[in-house]
Amino acid sequence: MADAAALIDATLPDLSYALDTCARCGFCKVVCPTHPFGGGFEAYSPRAKVHYLKELREGREELTPEWVDRIYQCTSCERCAEVCQTDIPLVHVWEAARSAAVKLGLGPMPAHKKLRVLTEQFHNPYGEPIEARERWMQPHHRPSARAELLVFAGCTAAYRMPPMLQTGVTILQRQDIPYAYAGGREVCCASPFLRTGQVEMATALVTSNIDLFHELGVKRIVTACGGCSKTLRFDYPELARTTGRSWDFEVLHFSQVYGQLLREGAIRPGRRVDKVVTYHDPCHLGRSQGIYDEPRSILRSIPGLRLLEMEHHREESRCCGAGGGVKANYPEMAAAIARDRVQEAVATGAEVLVTMCPFCQASFAQALKELGSSMRLAGVEELLLESLE
Amino acid sequence: MRAPWPILEAALGKAVTGDPQLLRAYDHDLGEMPRALLSRLRTRPDAVVVARSPADVVSTLQVAARLGVPVTPRGQGSSGYGGSMPTRAGILLDLSALTKVLAVDEAAATVDVEPGVVWNELSRTLRKRGLDVRTLPTSAPSSTVGGWFASGGVGIGSLRYGSIRDAVLEIDVAGLDGRVATVVGQDLDLHHQTAGILGVITRLRLACRPAEEPRSFAVRLPEAEAVPALQAAAERDLGAYSLSIQSAGYLAMRARLDRGAGPPIAAGFLGLLTVSSPGDPAAVERAVAACGGALLDDSVAAHEWEDRFYPMRVKRLGPSLLVSEFLLPTERFPETWRAISRALRREELGLEAFAARGGRMAVLVYALEDAGHWLYPVRMARALAPVRIALRRGGSVYTPGLWFAWGARSVLGEARYEAVVAEKRRVDPAGLLNPDKVLGPRLRGLPLVDASRLLALSAAFASPLSRWLAPRPVR
Repeated sequence: MADAAALIDATLPDLSYALDTCARCGFCKVVCPTHPFGGGFEAYSPRAKVHYLKELREGREELTPEWVDRIYQCTSCERCAEVCQTDIPLVHVWEAARSAAVKLGLGPMPAHKKLRVLTEQFHNPYGEPIEARERWMQPHHRPSARAELLVFAGCTAAYRMPPMLQTGVTILQRQDIPYAYAGGREVCCASPFLRTGQVEMATALVTSNIDLFHELGVKRIVTACGGCSKTLRFDYPELARTTGRSWDFEVLHFSQVYGQLLREGAIRPGRRVDKVVTYHDPCHLGRSQGIYDEPRSILRSIPGLRLLEMEHHREESRCCGAGGGVKANYPEMAAAIARDRVQEAVATGAEVLVTMCPFCQASFAQALKELGSSMRLAGVEELLLESLE
Repeated sequence: MRAPWPILEAALGKAVTGDPQLLRAYDHDLGEMPRALLSRLRTRPDAVVVARSPADVVSTLQVAARLGVPVTPRGQGSSGYGGSMPTRAGILLDLSALTKVLAVDEAAATVDVEPGVVWNELSRTLRKRGLDVRTLPTSAPSSTVGGWFASGGVGIGSLRYGSIRDAVLEIDVAGLDGRVATVVGQDLDLHHQTAGILGVITRLRLACRPAEEPRSFAVRLPEAEAVPALQAAAERDLGAYSLSIQSAGYLAMRARLDRGAGPPIAAGFLGLLTVSSPGDPAAVERAVAACGGALLDDSVAAHEWEDRFYPMRVKRLGPSLLVSEFLLPTERFPETWRAISRALRREELGLEAFAARGGRMAVLVYALEDAGHWLYPVRMARALAPVRIALRRGGSVYTPGLWFAWGARSVLGEARYEAVVAEKRRVDPAGLLNPDKVLGPRLRGLPLVDASRLLALSAAFASPLSRWLAPRPVR
């Protein structure tokens, strides 16, 4: 297994030192949403995975299919990194280890391979027709041929959970903010492939999108999805650099656009929305990008609306269970994590669970159904639009 | 993967594993010990049981007794004393899934918990009921209630409420005979700091305090002499909840991580004094001034309180960290710190201390290291130098565990030590319950020298050399 040790060392050049700094305190183990699904055994904890990777690097462990499977049992929620005493960028570590596993032919997991096959053919991991990528658009939506702002729909919003995207574009249009939309020319943002170590596939998708952004002449890119916005903001500049492309685009999440419009007084929620809601911080929006205040300021601007916080919120927010390829390969684990989060939402006494990520929304829709809960689900932007009617 | 003993699997089902890949995660704790030393021990268990109920604990112990194999209880393994690490393989009993808060008695201000409950989670649960834990360790985000009682110690809140021993009113202990006994009063001393060598704790009843908002004050102390004075005033005059001290050297390490940011202390110490809100700022200011200190901005206090569970951030500079920990009469702190600074003058040192009721304090001395360096086995010997210096000045080892079993008499006191030995002979004559801990291990092939004494002896010889070989400080 010298190959594995060398590859881990090569794949983790900047992370190798960080692994050595692990204090073994176990803060990460306590907050990890997937650890309990390993029977409670330590080896499923982030702390044990770090120890294992160090041992692997030193040639004292072997890269086995079982260990690869454990390394894939992570939603990339970043809770472990958030509480880490020595600030180890743990999700980067998992992604690098997954990438090494893929290079050695031990990864990704079967469901992740299917996502790649579907995306190679349809440019989205759902296997939906390319031409259907525009179907989310409503009759009144009129994208411009050229605009500084590009709406990046993302696969989940375009094909599965379109309301957040539809609402966002409607609000842009009402404010006479010109926007472009590339329709079927837009391909998957590559998040599912970056998170599951399929770097080659991810690079192909990212370069395709970057070339498209340049061709369209846009300056800013806005998306409704937490995962897309994290990937566009952090992974695209790096991959642009490594593939010799320029990157001078500003990446926005729709929450930031609404926040700015509210601050400028361009939109004034006036109609009462008498609802009690609780807000779920999507991991890739909150912990990844630090976007905690904008969604709350939007909700607080809506007359009549009452926001109740869940016990775990902001930096301590729990995961919806879907990220990091977990929903695809470990659906039961993902569903259980989502149910836990929904039960925390129900415990607040709120009638509506709101979030700002279509991926989270899809998880919660299923969980609410499984729990038979009467709690409703909505995007923040849907409530905002209701108050603007 | 099947466990090596069918009857264990028959009794515990999916709670047990013998999978070598899973077992490896249990062959170490927080401490980074030299491999040469670990190789003399059988640190990897033969099987692991993740107990889901006290009944699982009882079943495991009964099977262990029947098979005659050792059992090592473990919480989160968040201590570096080796107390939860196997030394003779056998069964590792993982208690971290026993996380139920069993009962809260608001009128009596007590809580009953399973041993695997994590301190921070317990505090969070209690606050919803108007109560809070009395004292908690800086490892509160992961360490368990049972684990801290079994290893012992002082931490945040100890100035007002004493050690963890003072907060525990009653425990249930499962023995190898399968019986669960309730232990109260003086008998609790047998199980406090003894790492489960007399039985496995399945329930604890803790005394709680009323939930209250803390108010912290950051204090600049010019010299070590100010520390005992401030502690005395904080306990006697201010009724303070907590007092912690950080040396300027430790703050400098932290500042390097934060690109120069941090409390403005170039020499002396930073004190963090916490009282019940709103407190009496004028009284605090008077007490601080009487010690020759000065109050710092509230933002410093807020930041330090927020950061209280992150003492090991400085490990990033290492990448390893040597930690020497001991208990000390606070009045001996100035001379002890001077002696430590003199002994280890060639390197960058950090100090953090927590005041405890009755004029005592727990002191941690940090030195940066690299456990991957080939000289580490020699260099780490200097971690014992501060402990030896403290012992000569009325201090004691913090907790025996495995590595400091040689200091068990200083920790437990002669009478309690003898009582523990007698109880061990009575309940576990075969030495199956967490063997080699507290009362001293025996090494394979070295029957007359135990691991902790070997470590202490080696360290004594290697200490002068290790100080010369220590990494040079970064200036």
